[in-house]
Amino acid sequence: MKKIYFLSFCFLVLVKLCFAQQNTAVSISVNFHQATIGQFVTELEAKTGYHFYYNPIQFDSLKISVEVNNKPIETVLDLAFKNTDFHYAITSQHQIFLTRGREIQIRLPAGFFENKPGTTPSITNQSKSVSTNAAVADFTDEKEKKVPEATTENKLYEIGIKTNTIQPGKATLSGYVRDGKSGESVVGASIYVTNTKTGVATDQFGYFTIVLPKGRQILSVRGIGMRDTRRQIILYSDGKLIIEMQEQVTSLKEVKISAEKVANVRNVQLGVNRLDIKSIKQVPTVFGEADVLRVVLTLPGVQSVGEATTGFNVRGGSADQNLILLNDATIYNPAHFFGFFSAFNPDIVKDIELYKSSIPEKFGGRLSSVLDITDREGNKKKFTGSAGIGLITSRLNVEGPIIKDKTSFIFGGRITYSDWLLKLLPEEYKHSQASFYDLNLDISHQIDDKNNLYLTSYLSHDQFKLNSDTAYSYSNRNINIKWKHNFNDKLFSLITTGIDRYQYNIASFDNPVNAYKLNFDINQTNLKADFTYYLNRKNTVDFGVSTIYYKLHPGNFQPNDVKSLVAPDVVPAQQALESAAYLGDKYDITDDLSLSAGIRYSLYNYLGPQTVYNYAPNLPKTSSNFLDSTTYSKNKVIKTYSGPEFRLSARYNLGDNTSVKAGYNTLRQYIHLLSNTTAIAPTDVWQLSDPNIKPQYGDQVSLGLYRNFKENTIETSVEVYYKRLRDYLDYRSGANLVLNHHIENDVLGTQGKAYGIEFLIKKTTGKANGWISYTYSRTFLRQDNINEGELINGGAYYPANFDKPHDFNFIGNYRFSHRFSVSLNVTYSTGRPITLPIAKYEYGGSERVLYSDRNTYRIPDYFRSDFSMNIEGNHKIHQRTHNSFTLGVYNLTGRQNAYSAYFTQQAGIISGFKLSIFAKPIPFINYNIRF
Amino acid sequence: MGSKMKSNMSKSKYIWYLFVVIGVAISCKKPYNPAIVSSDNHYLVVEGVINSGNDSTIINLSRTVKLSEDVSTQIVTNYTVVIEGEQGGNYALQSEGNGRYDIGPMHLDASKKYRLHITTPEGKQYVSDYVEVKQTPPIDSIGFTPKNNYLQIYANTHDATNNTRYYRWDYSEAWRFHTKFQSSFIVDGGAVRGRRADESIYYCYASDKSSNIVLGSSEKLTQDVIFQTPINTIASNSEKLELRYSILLKQYALTKDGYQFWENMKKNTEQLGSIFDAQPTQLQGNIHNMSDPTEPVIGYVSVTNVQSKRIYINKGQLPNDWIEKYPYDCGMADSAFFSHPKTGSNDVLYYIIQGGGIAVDAIYGPFGILGYTYSSSGCTDCTIRGKVKKPSFWIDN
Repeated sequence: MKKIYFLSFCFLVLVKLCFAQQNTAVSISVNFHQATIGQFVTELEAKTGYHFYYNPIQFDSLKISVEVNNKPIETVLDLAFKNTDFHYAITSQHQIFLTRGREIQIRLPAGFFENKPGTTPSITNQSKSVSTNAAVADFTDEKEKKVPEATTENKLYEIGIKTNTIQPGKATLSGYVRDGKSGESVVGASIYVTNTKTGVATDQFGYFTIVLPKGRQILSVRGIGMRDTRRQIILYSDGKLIIEMQEQVTSLKEVKISAEKVANVRNVQLGVNRLDIKSIKQVPTVFGEADVLRVVLTLPGVQSVGEATTGFNVRGGSADQNLILLNDATIYNPAHFFGFFSAFNPDIVKDIELYKSSIPEKFGGRLSSVLDITDREGNKKKFTGSAGIGLITSRLNVEGPIIKDKTSFIFGGRITYSDWLLKLLPEEYKHSQASFYDLNLDISHQIDDKNNLYLTSYLSHDQFKLNSDTAYSYSNRNINIKWKHNFNDKLFSLITTGIDRYQYNIASFDNPVNAYKLNFDINQTNLKADFTYYLNRKNTVDFGVSTIYYKLHPGNFQPNDVKSLVAPDVVPAQQALESAAYLGDKYDITDDLSLSAGIRYSLYNYLGPQTVYNYAPNLPKTSSNFLDSTTYSKNKVIKTYSGPEFRLSARYNLGDNTSVKAGYNTLRQYIHLLSNTTAIAPTDVWQLSDPNIKPQYGDQVSLGLYRNFKENTIETSVEVYYKRLRDYLDYRSGANLVLNHHIENDVLGTQGKAYGIEFLIKKTTGKANGWISYTYSRTFLRQDNINEGELINGGAYYPANFDKPHDFNFIGNYRFSHRFSVSLNVTYSTGRPITLPIAKYEYGGSERVLYSDRNTYRIPDYFRSDFSMNIEGNHKIHQRTHNSFTLGVYNLTGRQNAYSAYFTQQAGIISGFKLSIFAKPIPFINYNIRF
Repeated sequence: MGSKMKSNMSKSKYIWYLFVVIGVAISCKKPYNPAIVSSDNHYLVVEGVINSGNDSTIINLSRTVKLSEDVSTQIVTNYTVVIEGEQGGNYALQSEGNGRYDIGPMHLDASKKYRLHITTPEGKQYVSDYVEVKQTPPIDSIGFTPKNNYLQIYANTHDATNNTRYYRWDYSEAWRFHTKFQSSFIVDGGAVRGRRADESIYYCYASDKSSNIVLGSSEKLTQDVIFQTPINTIASNSEKLELRYSILLKQYALTKDGYQFWENMKKNTEQLGSIFDAQPTQLQGNIHNMSDPTEPVIGYVSVTNVQSKRIYINKGQLPNDWIEKYPYDCGMADSAFFSHPKTGSNDVLYYIIQGGGIAVDAIYGPFGILGYTYSSSGCTDCTIRGKVKKPSFWIDN
């Protein structure tokens, strides 16, 4: 194409040199009836003195009938080619080019001399083009013609089959948004159409589809980490467009919390936060390595019980009520090193999306939130990679094409070398070991325009052995395959199948008589089909089905030494099938009012083989109320739970940059994490719902107000919510959860309620950027059913472990130059509730304390600030490697935040203690290299 | 063993947690004394084991106190305590003061169930559940292993009938030790004279009782065997190991419920503070107020014959390089002269006769005693933390 431009340019310049500009309007009269092109051209050339250029083969079927009196040549040509596929272009040198299918551009696009301001095109535009910029013709054969790759802002791209006049009505534009450099799809890029004030965001494959009025449109395109751009199109009929965006190379530390600047206001969904890896990477963390989960904790409505914990709590939900998906694979343990690191490699992760309220109907199975983590696609054009070195971990990632522009891979690995740290410890800890690694390998393949295949896999492994005689290890293993198929511009499907596994084992070996090993694992096989149908401009329909087969081995306890007297103890495997079908519609009722309504019907079957205990009705499920047991054979449906889940949200625009939204959703959860510790321990067990353990049920109503200021560079929002939980599991006093064959004897179903208000102010661009969030929220649980068992706190509501009413976060970045930026992070929250003793006494040779009501006190408030500096090497694009340093200080003020407060006896005297983690300022440094 | 495994597990977690945290030198543990609204109630606390064998039964009664109080317990007197058989037979206990109630050997019928019945002076009635008699098998052996910087004492036991399964131990320790300096002189009637053998304060015996709850279970094993279950650890530089150490271990069989009670109490009061430990929970014993079952009563009464065993450990059985750390900072003994060479003051009078310093040795000049070396009572007088008199059970090697 470029060659053609260049040749035409030379040609036209030459022409200009030879002829003086003459612009005469000649009026003629003609009368053709079923004339061939030859007759037509010959007569016009004779009457006007213009010279015609055309390809006779293209015109051999054309018959021209036109009658005019004393009209300019343009009128004659207009009438002659009206409603045909033929076009003409007239130069100032009295040349007329006739073409079929597309128009010749006789003038260079306005932006052609972008780099040389002042140069004006010398050829006067006499084209029929309605635009200020001439349409770009494509001279390749129609059959070979690909979907246009729109790379330039100032070109006018034609979409669909061209007609002489724009037909009234609407047409569908679909296509992909890609990174011009790597060919990777840009997820969540927003395409906003200025004329109609409508917009759409690309899906996880960079795909979009939008229905627009035919005619000339300007598309504003914005993507995370990409330079904002626009595309000019003329839409004639349904068609496709590939938009290539350029990476924001120069602004290294731009914070973009949301891809869509307007989207936070325009989107129908509430309670959704999207973060890309760039904003994640600039939040200071304890060991200097970017940490996905730690940044999630700075979002409004997200809390944790303390530092170095695995779980997080969203809007009053417990940690197991979050569905954590890595490329659609369920991750059961998202942490390494007991929560000191998150399990996700920051070099591979592309972005994360957290759904707190409007959970799309395609997701289900957890009550509180969905954390959707997406890996990058490998670079489709060239091999690249990066490496990072930190105090405790190192990372490497490599990516590149397998088949250029079609197939690519990305591989990432992390490993720790923390043992050197342990060697520095006092003798009693010196012989401990702790290590972890994780590996990601993703392959994406484009079969053709309509079919894509994706393979994603993940493996993580943690192990540690203490000076004591016990060794622990745990591992996540996930693999899945996705097939994306576009039936047409309006309907596409995504079929995913995969296997997820989480396992841990504990082994003890020093005491030969007691030596044991304990294994736990959970396996799920997933199959799901998701469809999206762009019904029309006002409706987008999602529907699909999914099924998960669970196989869970709750505990396998075996001797670990020939001398061991340990009796093998195997808690029988549990199996279940969780299926769902869903249908949802996003309906733009008017330009200002949109509604998203979805229903998901979930069906859960607890399957044999299994022996289930039956208990006397309306009495606590304890061994004393045991009646008898029933044994079921393999694959026999033992118990079925089912019910609809509703997902509703609506948005009403109050002007261009303000909107209100409301939502209601219900969810069901069939799998439970059993943990009576404050934080999730890697050795906690999961449990499937069975006849004695009901599924959890939750619903939430929320309302939000959104407003953007300063041309959408400052986003603000306020959201309120009220949530109810039913059959959430709490534990009887002294519950034993490990190797428990009848877990129903040790758990209690409780009711919960949570409410709160969340404020968020974000500045997304500029030298200074970041966000401030404040949340006021409360979470209460209650066990008031005497038939369930012991009443907790006399049956009154009591605060949940993670009830922290006030929560404030500030994340700020300031870019001094392209090579130097600083970040500051400030966090404040109310201390979490604890149970403190009310009295003391002597027993067993020591002072002891008596605990009473649960969670009636709080540990002191939490405050922390972190600071980091990012120093980049030079920014020449063409150099072998790009280097950067991150250094900073975690817990700048060195405040000794209480992790826990507790009373324990030492040498017979009871005393209170406050334990702090990271109680001093911790400096860190990280070196990163990109190649 | 299942529960033992669990408790090991949480202990290991705790250790692991500590080492990471210590490793990065970033954690800290500080005293913490929040303002707690203490309960005004004083709940009844019942501690003791009904001895079904040939030893006496001791039940201690007390009441809880507020956390802020200086005393750790409130002793109750004038209660009536009776052991009642389910099929009849009452045994009234004698009040010995200090909340202690006892009775001699009862030789209870092991096939019957028994309970404790307590009546307060106000007429409130507290009873325990009827509890079966659990037979405690004898302790097979008590052993010890020197580890890197501590001594691990462990016990072995088994029940060939596989009936016991749940065990609890407590112990009392005794050890012989000496002070830093051996005092050969004593102040008597305003003068210093030679110390007689019966006035020696160099060697003493001290004793202590277990303050940790020690539990074990063979629940997860094919045989009812407890192998090298940890009982106690002693730091390698402890004065306890200086000369000769003795431990008397008592073994109690427990029912499963009783085991859970003790385990729960252990979790609530000894194993808190790490990230992965269970949250404190309410304690449920087997004693209730007859007219108000919701009133908390602390304690679990079990019925068993108690087994005990004593061993001695001599310094010679321990690694040579284990050197005790003296609990007081003594340095060299000071010197006191009758006439200070420079000032001429009578230091013997000031520092020893009036000042409370204890004379160690005489300082001899060409013409007799010029003065004495002396030191503090902590460095010379073992009776401030022990007794010179040998305990009745003590056997010298």
